[in-house]
Amino acid sequence: MAKSLMIVDDSATMRKIIMRTVRMSGLEFERTEEAGNGAEAIEKLKTSPVDLVLCDVNMPEMGGLEMVKKIRTELKICEGTKIIMVSTESSQELIDGVIADGANGFITKPFTPEKFQEKLTPFMN
Amino acid sequence: MIEQICFDKVLLESAKEIFSTMVFMDLAEAAEKDFVVDRALLGSITFKGGVEGCMAICCDKNCAKAIAVNMLGMDSDSGLTEEGISDAIGEIVNMIMGGVKSRILKEVGNLEVSIPSVVSGHDLTNLDNKSIRTTIKVNIDDKFGAEISLIYRPCA
Repeated sequence: MAKSLMIVDDSATMRKIIMRTVRMSGLEFERTEEAGNGAEAIEKLKTSPVDLVLCDVNMPEMGGLEMVKKIRTELKICEGTKIIMVSTESSQELIDGVIADGANGFITKPFTPEKFQEKLTPFMN
Repeated sequence: MIEQICFDKVLLESAKEIFSTMVFMDLAEAAEKDFVVDRALLGSITFKGGVEGCMAICCDKNCAKAIAVNMLGMDSDSGLTEEGISDAIGEIVNMIMGGVKSRILKEVGNLEVSIPSVVSGHDLTNLDNKSIRTTIKVNIDDKFGAEISLIYRPCA
């Protein structure tokens, strides 16, 4: 069971919407964290790893793609953490690229609780 | 290739999808086109690639508050901050542009989208004669009027 979740998005509004959608999807987490960009997420993950990260792509300072690369190939931290990208960007090239870099899934906006349930349930066990 | 794109249709489709799935408000093209949006907030986002330009949504403060309240699932706007309103409008613009991008990507080849910004303002104006502007006036939940505009030009 995934017990901890981090939502990474530069928009506080979107972080709240994602959190609400996670709750509506019926998935439960004992601990939730938030970060406003990739760099902030990495700093938090170094000291407080989570089971699952939901991460935006386009963010100031450090975007989601750079964050995934850093975590998976440079820093090699949080090996057990599953990273799911959440973005309005939806080209197959982008999705294939970020999966190749080490992300575990991709959810496109707009999303629904059903979409979250479908995409996240495989990582809950 | 971009001549084949019906931008106002693409813009309206994307906006309708975002409002129904993420804002839980009904958005429809306004039958009455000559209303004026007063004391407006302007959320905008730029793009470049096979086509370049700017997309914006313009609405009044009450409309922006209603959008933010609905997006956040709040009971009222009493706990809403200026930053929260601005953030919500920025996200709306970001998501509508994302929908536009996914619908035109095949025709334009590539498209990079900026991070959205929200300012107090009334209108998005094109300052050169090479750009094309399309504007749709919409009603949101039959209570609020808003404008969604796209200014674009093909890249060489």
